[in-house]
Amino acid sequence: MKLPLSWLKQYVDFEDTLQGLSDQLTFSGVEVEGIETVGPTAEQLDGVVVAEIIEINPHPGADKLTLCTVATGTEEITVVCGAPNVRQGMKTAYAPVGTTLPNGLKLKRAKIRGVESLGMLCAKDELGISDDHSGIMDLDAELAIGTPISSVVGEPEIVFDLEITPNRPDCLSMIGIAREIAALYGSTLKVPEVDFPENGPPTSSLTSVDIQDADLCPRYTARVLNDVQVGPSPQWIQHVLTLAGIRPINNVVDITNFVMLECGQPLHAFDKTLLKEERIIVRRARDGETMNTLDDQSRQFTSENLVIADAERAVAVAGVMGGADSEIADHTETVLLESAYFHPVSVRATAKQLSMNTDSSYRFARGCDVGGVDWASRRATQLLVEYAGATAATGLIDAYPKPVSQRTIFCRWDKVTGLTGVNACPQTITDVFRSLEFIVDGENDTGCNVTVPTNRVDLEREVDLVEEFARIHGLDKIPTPIPQTQIIPTADDAPIQGRRKLRNQLCGLGLQEAVHYSLTSESLLEELDPTNKPSRIKLSLPMSIDKSILRTALLPQMVDTLGRNKAHQNEKAALFELGRIYRERPDGERESLHLCIGLLGPVGRPVPSKEPLSDEEMFAALKGIVENIAQQQEIIFDFEEFSAPAYKSGCAASIFHAGTSVGHLGIIHPEISENRRLMDPIAVAELDTDTFLRTSYEPNHMQPIAAFPSITRDAALVVDETVKHSDIMAIIKAAAPKELEKVELFDVFRSERLGSGKKSMAYSFTYRSGRKTMTDKQATKFHEKVKDRLRSELDADVPRG
Amino acid sequence: MDLQQLKETKIAALAEATACADLDAVEAVRVRYLGRKGLLPDIMRSLKDIPNEEKATFGQTANALKNELSEALDIRKKELRAAETGTSDEFFDYTLPGQWRGWGTAHPISQIIDRVADIFAAIGFTLADGPDIEDEFHNFDALNTPGDHPSRDMHDTFYLDSGELLRTHTSPGQIRYMENAPPPIRILVPGRCYRRDTEDATHSANFHQVEGLYVNERVSMAELKGDLTYFARQIIGNRAEVRFRPHFFPFTEPSVEVDFTCHVCANQPTPKGCRVCKESGWIEIAGAGMVDPNVFKAVGYNPDEVAGYAFGMGIERIAMIMLEIDDIRRLYENDVRFLSQF
Repeated sequence: MKLPLSWLKQYVDFEDTLQGLSDQLTFSGVEVEGIETVGPTAEQLDGVVVAEIIEINPHPGADKLTLCTVATGTEEITVVCGAPNVRQGMKTAYAPVGTTLPNGLKLKRAKIRGVESLGMLCAKDELGISDDHSGIMDLDAELAIGTPISSVVGEPEIVFDLEITPNRPDCLSMIGIAREIAALYGSTLKVPEVDFPENGPPTSSLTSVDIQDADLCPRYTARVLNDVQVGPSPQWIQHVLTLAGIRPINNVVDITNFVMLECGQPLHAFDKTLLKEERIIVRRARDGETMNTLDDQSRQFTSENLVIADAERAVAVAGVMGGADSEIADHTETVLLESAYFHPVSVRATAKQLSMNTDSSYRFARGCDVGGVDWASRRATQLLVEYAGATAATGLIDAYPKPVSQRTIFCRWDKVTGLTGVNACPQTITDVFRSLEFIVDGENDTGCNVTVPTNRVDLEREVDLVEEFARIHGLDKIPTPIPQTQIIPTADDAPIQGRRKLRNQLCGLGLQEAVHYSLTSESLLEELDPTNKPSRIKLSLPMSIDKSILRTALLPQMVDTLGRNKAHQNEKAALFELGRIYRERPDGERESLHLCIGLLGPVGRPVPSKEPLSDEEMFAALKGIVENIAQQQEIIFDFEEFSAPAYKSGCAASIFHAGTSVGHLGIIHPEISENRRLMDPIAVAELDTDTFLRTSYEPNHMQPIAAFPSITRDAALVVDETVKHSDIMAIIKAAAPKELEKVELFDVFRSERLGSGKKSMAYSFTYRSGRKTMTDKQATKFHEKVKDRLRSELDADVPRG
Repeated sequence: MDLQQLKETKIAALAEATACADLDAVEAVRVRYLGRKGLLPDIMRSLKDIPNEEKATFGQTANALKNELSEALDIRKKELRAAETGTSDEFFDYTLPGQWRGWGTAHPISQIIDRVADIFAAIGFTLADGPDIEDEFHNFDALNTPGDHPSRDMHDTFYLDSGELLRTHTSPGQIRYMENAPPPIRILVPGRCYRRDTEDATHSANFHQVEGLYVNERVSMAELKGDLTYFARQIIGNRAEVRFRPHFFPFTEPSVEVDFTCHVCANQPTPKGCRVCKESGWIEIAGAGMVDPNVFKAVGYNPDEVAGYAFGMGIERIAMIMLEIDDIRRLYENDVRFLSQF
């Protein structure tokens, strides 16, 4: 809300600097978001003076320009002017050559269409006074020539931009803020005296008000004003409205807006003669009923909407906007002035449904002062009498079936001190309440009764009063004790700490953590995770296609990110993400924590080399990381053949833990890679961490360390290309004596000599006895037996010795 | 061989070692004396024929021959090698890059969450969790924000077709925890949140918050201020101060916004405004307040028997301030040149 300080000062006296006032408001709950200076400063207007146009001649080279001879007080000069409103004898603002105008324009001696122009006659916008560019300034004829224009324009206005929180509708007005300031500075609020003559027949004989839904409209007042002369409102009203951000329209409309900004009560003026039977019915709209609003839009209602109607049709959307058919026009003579209270929920719903957020609906939706309805009506009437020549009919119609009484709340002293931690005595507490115009009585040892005005719709409970005390007494007075540790014995966050450990482990492996949005696009999921299509969870109204669906897997965004890194010339990336995925599942557990790992470029190489990247290398690097995770989690992962649309055929495996699938890893399908201009293979794994994450500390028990030396024997097997490491290991395992402690693959080798379709796989076998030193002879015996099995079962060429 | 012969052999062997002309000669001397079929094993075998009184000396001399000769051969080998390469010692390039894989990096968002969690863990806060997909009850109603409440306008919410929503803050985590546990409670709930914010340098439709909740028989705003001041000093520095500004949140009463001393200014000898805090000396960090009685009612607590404070802060905001990140979107681009900086 915009708060012009000159306007505010009409309602309260206080002495403070701008910064001081701004701080007082901010630290009592009305945040000053900005301080704006409106209008030019005297410095900015330096050199600009009042001048008189003494002669006007046509410009020889342009029809729309004139040559004005101007008396500036020191000389007579010629200025070229294009304004339509120049006239002889006019007093206007003149800026000589050398002046820099507030809009930044620096005036130089210039020829305009061949005629020299010495300076410039100025419009309001050129001097930064307003955005009016309809013509040059038309000043008071009484002003002396040569008077500095700054003394005519006056001081610049200071306007505060306030953020009013939704609970404080009482602050949405000048008087509302003035009331706060009065409490803060110990000053008195000055509410304008309202007094005006009433003439002629009583209002009740001129119109009637029928409230058909008192829940949605608890109070409706109507006054009638005759002999209204519609015209521009006085300059000072136009000025303050403009400063507050409302465009002046005519005196009647401006006065209703003025009173709304002054006291927070929205008003509406109808042209009474345009109302059928000249009476008011407050009712719910009929389903499908339509009306044209003031903004020339046709609105269609449901029975949820409250409307103001005449005998036949809706004439206003209650509390939101008036209708075009009963609008105040230049020829309007009789005004029906509405001041009412509408239910906040209803106004809010209607404004939202019709997408109409007006100054009026904003205030009603937050809660107006049901007790202030009459004052606003009288205040507007007073101004209409004064500034629109109106005659007020006698009295008013005040339809108020169930008058609302002020709320009284009992407030305990120890609730105030206990919740705030401020050691305040009862006197201090009641002083704060009284400064806010609350009525305090019934004080005893426990507390006091506090009666709050009807404008404070936010104060319903004791705790609300505690807040009033805290903010007015000053939050800076709350002490800052040293923290006390509280141990809650039942709290257990081991599962969450487990994730953090896993993250640290992955960082320890040299991976960098990535974080993606959990919202992604359907097209990305179609490309990279089509299998989970049935379980996708979509937003009903996404902001963009890119973020319209909750991710069903982490892999798709990881692939995109690897591609983007490559596009940014990052040749290597080893990334992981530990984040949630979202799938519709029969058991209702839609969110689970996944881990995704993505490798780009030669990240697994200990020494940089230009060797081309193979699928095997990328897969092995990734699998090493996955195995490392298993090792750190102290579990065993098994790998099985796997295929999925995201992976290159044959280059993927699923990961099992204790017989359950926990994820997969592989080389991304070349087409998918190429779509992202990734020419080398990239490797990605995704695991469901909930299925294996260790969340408790289970100590391992020490195993005895072998006492006797071992003997190591190697064996190189020449086998068909299609023989897998796991095939060989399975045979070894079946043939192994218990003395075979360890088998390690240490080389895979292909050569022309071996022939195509063949490879050599070299294993190292460690034999050890638990009871005595292994002898060469024994080791050889064991080893030959294992080799025999490999030969017979694999048709493998296994050299002897 | 007797002792005298052994002594002569030793002298001869050492002389041969120093006289070796090349590495082959060194190897030949080594084989002749120290090899499996060399002279020294022979000498050891002859020990049995030595008179008892000489045995000790003979054995010691034999050992000395073995050790001194080995050493002499090693020295000669080094000399010969040095002569080949022209340096007096073996060349070693310690400037070659190391090969052990480097330490990776946690994402700035994780780092800040961990830091916040560590600081609060020291005063007894444990971590808790809640789902991203929430219902209206936990996200709004139980937090004293009924459907017709104007403060719902503060949250522009993503809804699902089911009528559920993506949580707009981590506060539903409070509700879920209190529903399942009796007071006292002292938890920290970090997590993702979602709002229909148009994305720009400081807004993201998907962001992270961390929520703190302390419920006990008696809890005051002073404790809230004390605990947040402790936090501010841990994360910013010893000079940091905290100030409260009144604000409005439906789920706390009284409600405050919390400013911390600007971390750039705070660590200057004389704190004064800078660009980071827009010359004010303060940075808005958190929203906080005393848990509203209606929130306690919603989870079945008796508001007359308990009190509590709650606070919430934006992780991205803290990350951007502390790590001087210029655009929130960088946190989600995952460019390795960015990630590797933190």
